[in-house]
Amino acid sequence: MNARIACLLLVATTTAGAETLTDAAAIVDRANLAAYYAGADGRSEARMIIRDAQGREQRRQFTVLRRNVTPGGDQDFLVVFSQPADVRGTVYLVKKHLERDDDRWLYLPGLDLIKRIAAGDKRTSFVGAHYFYEDVSGRRPRDDSHELVETTAEHYVLRHVPLDKASVEFASYVTWIDRNTFLPMKIEYTDEAGKAYRRVEVLAVEDFQGHPTVTRSRVSDLTGGGHTDMELRFIGYDLGLPVEVFTERSLRTPPREWLRRPGD
Amino acid sequence: MNRLLAVPGRRPALVLWVTAVVTLVAGLQLLRIHIDTDPENMLPESQPDRVFHDLVEERFALHDAIVVGLVNEDHPEGIWNARSLGALHRLTGSVLGMEGVIARDLMSLAVADNITQGESGELRFEWMMREPPATDAEALRIRDQVARLPLLLDTLVSGDGRAAAIYVPIESKDQSYRIASEIGRLAAGLDTPDVVHITGLPVAEDTFGVEMFVQMGVSAPLAGLMIFLLMWYFFGSWQLIVAPLLVAMATVIITMGLLTGLGYTVHIMSSMIPIFLMPIAVVDSVHIMSEFIDRHSPQEEPATTMRAVVAHLFRPMLFTSLTSAVGFLSLVLTPIPPVQVFGAFVAVGIMLALVLTVTLVPAWVARLTPRQLARLAPRHGADAAPQTTLARALRAIGRVGFSRRAPVIAGAAALLVAGLAGILRIEINDNPVRWFKADHRIRIADAVLNRHFAGTYDAHLVLTRTDDASGRFAAETAPLLGALRAAGVATDEFETRIEAGDFDGLAAAIDDALFEAEAAAIAPLEALLAAAEASRTASRWFQQPEALAWVQSLQAALAESGYVGKTNALPDVVKVVNRELRGGGAEHYRIPGSAEGVAQTLLQYQSSHRPQDLWHMVTPDLRSTTIWLQMTSGDNQDMTRVIAALDAHLAANPPPADVEVRWAGKTFINVVWQQSMVSGMLWSLLGAFATVFVMMVLLFRSLREGLLAMLPLTLTIISCYGLIGWIGKDYDMPIAVLSALTLGLSVDFAIHFIERLRALRAADPASAERRLFEEPARAIARNALVIALGFTPLLASPLVPYATVGLFMASIMLISALATLLLLPAVMGRATAAPTEVPA
Repeated sequence: MNARIACLLLVATTTAGAETLTDAAAIVDRANLAAYYAGADGRSEARMIIRDAQGREQRRQFTVLRRNVTPGGDQDFLVVFSQPADVRGTVYLVKKHLERDDDRWLYLPGLDLIKRIAAGDKRTSFVGAHYFYEDVSGRRPRDDSHELVETTAEHYVLRHVPLDKASVEFASYVTWIDRNTFLPMKIEYTDEAGKAYRRVEVLAVEDFQGHPTVTRSRVSDLTGGGHTDMELRFIGYDLGLPVEVFTERSLRTPPREWLRRPGD
Repeated sequence: MNRLLAVPGRRPALVLWVTAVVTLVAGLQLLRIHIDTDPENMLPESQPDRVFHDLVEERFALHDAIVVGLVNEDHPEGIWNARSLGALHRLTGSVLGMEGVIARDLMSLAVADNITQGESGELRFEWMMREPPATDAEALRIRDQVARLPLLLDTLVSGDGRAAAIYVPIESKDQSYRIASEIGRLAAGLDTPDVVHITGLPVAEDTFGVEMFVQMGVSAPLAGLMIFLLMWYFFGSWQLIVAPLLVAMATVIITMGLLTGLGYTVHIMSSMIPIFLMPIAVVDSVHIMSEFIDRHSPQEEPATTMRAVVAHLFRPMLFTSLTSAVGFLSLVLTPIPPVQVFGAFVAVGIMLALVLTVTLVPAWVARLTPRQLARLAPRHGADAAPQTTLARALRAIGRVGFSRRAPVIAGAAALLVAGLAGILRIEINDNPVRWFKADHRIRIADAVLNRHFAGTYDAHLVLTRTDDASGRFAAETAPLLGALRAAGVATDEFETRIEAGDFDGLAAAIDDALFEAEAAAIAPLEALLAAAEASRTASRWFQQPEALAWVQSLQAALAESGYVGKTNALPDVVKVVNRELRGGGAEHYRIPGSAEGVAQTLLQYQSSHRPQDLWHMVTPDLRSTTIWLQMTSGDNQDMTRVIAALDAHLAANPPPADVEVRWAGKTFINVVWQQSMVSGMLWSLLGAFATVFVMMVLLFRSLREGLLAMLPLTLTIISCYGLIGWIGKDYDMPIAVLSALTLGLSVDFAIHFIERLRALRAADPASAERRLFEEPARAIARNALVIALGFTPLLASPLVPYATVGLFMASIMLISALATLLLLPAVMGRATAAPTEVPA
């Protein structure tokens, strides 16, 4: 019965989204909410497989806990690594702010060290993957100017140009946003020469508690070769994550009860 | 045979047309020419060191790189000023967009990552110089940042602050001349007081290829022209010397056409084929024409005279050709493919030249009108004894040779001793950059940049853990897998992962299985997971602190050798990141105490803008790592000294068990092919020497005369190589190959000398020695002079190997002609005198 209600609700939300939007900024705002702000909080387990151009693999496995401080605004993240074993217990705590630079902390158990990380440049690799920090925590919509290029049967196609060119490595990027879910299904980054060199694409979307959620995605290096696949599992929303989970204390002693898999 | 030799005289038109058609067909093949200047091709593709070198390049994603240097000698802070760094930034930006440049691996301050402490002690990853500095003060701030990063200092910026470098990795070596030229044009338009230099082995090699092509098109024909001017001077008839011109041209075109037509590439060696063939192709013609002019009388049909001349000279010509061909064919014994191709095709060309000489020259002469022939007569009549300087000098030489035998033999013996002493001083060395003359822009760039930086020459010391981690794991965990199967868990995927040594994938698979497992399977799964994790950490050998300490000890040993400017390796990265994580104090510039600490340090390094840089130093499985050596010299000798220093260190400090230590890198590969070349050349020279000796004994049907024929060439080879030892010229590839030429050409004179003396003695013993120093001696001397002087244009070549060939060719000709004309009479003595003992 519950499943049927969920289905009905989903149909309701999708029809609501089916009206055609024409304002680029509005589309971007909704996409930002759909991709990064589902629920009041959430957890998921990520498994990354990083493949270089020669097909050599590295793996990373970590749990992400997230809490929205304000809807569409500031957010807290706690990222706890479980695999590989030699980086197990490595923790990132990120306090994402819209009005100022994020706060980021890092704990390295092998060095027994807590370190603040400068948030200046978010377009560095996330632990060696083809994902950037910004891909994980979300790029601020106001950092770019947006233009609706095309509306197809399935997608809004938008082109984005950075306002501060010096802070990023791309000249522009294009997103294909699903008209129903508002999830960005594909993003292509283009360099000064107009060549697409990096692609983010969604490979699978599943519904959790009424939130269409990306469960499999891929970032590809279009010039050097190689890509990273990310799979998200054990997803839950509105768990009631307490504020204390997102404090420096969680770095050395991660909150076990919230990291445990549902049903474990 | 005689009937065959008569054909050209009877059907001259047919001979000329057939030759023309064959030459044209071969000439068309030249359109398919493919130039190859890669010294790596000096080794067969299956050569183990080359296979390993290629593997290492792939394993660590290493590319050939052009080195661009900006040098500022005037500003008090050197390169550390806003204007210079601005220029560096602009140049880097333009180079990044060039076709054929691998942008992601380009190294320059403008794309370097920096790891520092922020104002409140936070860790910062940021671009070192995303925007060029606006002020000189900002430039100095960048200088201070770079000073903290040992991987950048002395690599991207020189320690003396005078120069900055851009390492431009390229997709393909044969693009380097084009890319270097484009960079050169950009640099010229750069608004900067800095001097821009461009070097690197790929540029040297590819530039050599381009200039080699020019040399083939300019120098070789120029040498040809010089030869024909000299022949005109000697023979005084344009009509007559057109014949050898045609022989030489047809020989070169057909041989090169055959080479390209058969799909061989034109390597530095084969590019010299025309230069080697040209003199060899004309020597037989010179003998024929010399004798033809002597014998020709207006009363006789020229074809008849020519037939007699050719019949008379055919045997010595056949043998001189065969001996020269054997000399070159012996190069096939060397294990170096381009040298083999060179030897084989020169040998083919020599035999072709003989065929063309006995067909084309008579055919050509048969077509001359009586009027044209008559003009030859007044200058060189049949019995006239010309009174030219050359003729008088030769008669004098003949008198000295036959009458002052003891001093001549003593002089030769002294020369032999001096030559042997010189050979002992020979330095075996090579470096493709030195194939250019010292004032070439590449040599200058090479000198300047290596004065400032740790070195533009690369080598890699590759360390690989070879223990069977997955095999051991499989044996240890077999009981656990059995227990799992008993508990109803499918273990197929586990086994596949174990076999592949993929502990990461195994851990993930166990993790998945744990989630769905029944109670009975949980304990064995957890045990298997623990074992997998332990094995994974252990198998990642180069993140163990003791392994990194060992790598550091090798770096220290290499630095102590005195020939290494700098080494870059994994410990340097780990130490820098560890220091910055711990607050930036110099006391933290060390390797963390645990494998986990190292792994987490590397995880941070991977969180930069250029995570892929890590894989240039270590493989993702942490089982193979490379120490990148920067050296200021690309000389094989210096690389060999580094190898010896490391060998000595490893002998005293054996590497850990199950670790393979092996060299790779361009500078190392050059040493490998050079070593195999030197030993190969020695064997081929000895083999050719023995073969030629046997041929001489067979030709003269006399051991004594066979030995005599070997005398001038022995003296020539020993004194020429002795000269190299004395003047201190390195024994390099071109010098090595020239030994075959020495052998082949210097025996020719002896053959003609002995053969003609025999014939003269048979005819009239009393006048034989006097007559020998008329026409036969003149033919020998003319040949020597034509070739020696004909190659002087090569001395002007900007490419050292070409100049060397020119100089060497002249020495060989002069020494072997003199040795033949002086030493043989002295040793043989007059017909009336008792046979002299032959020195062994």
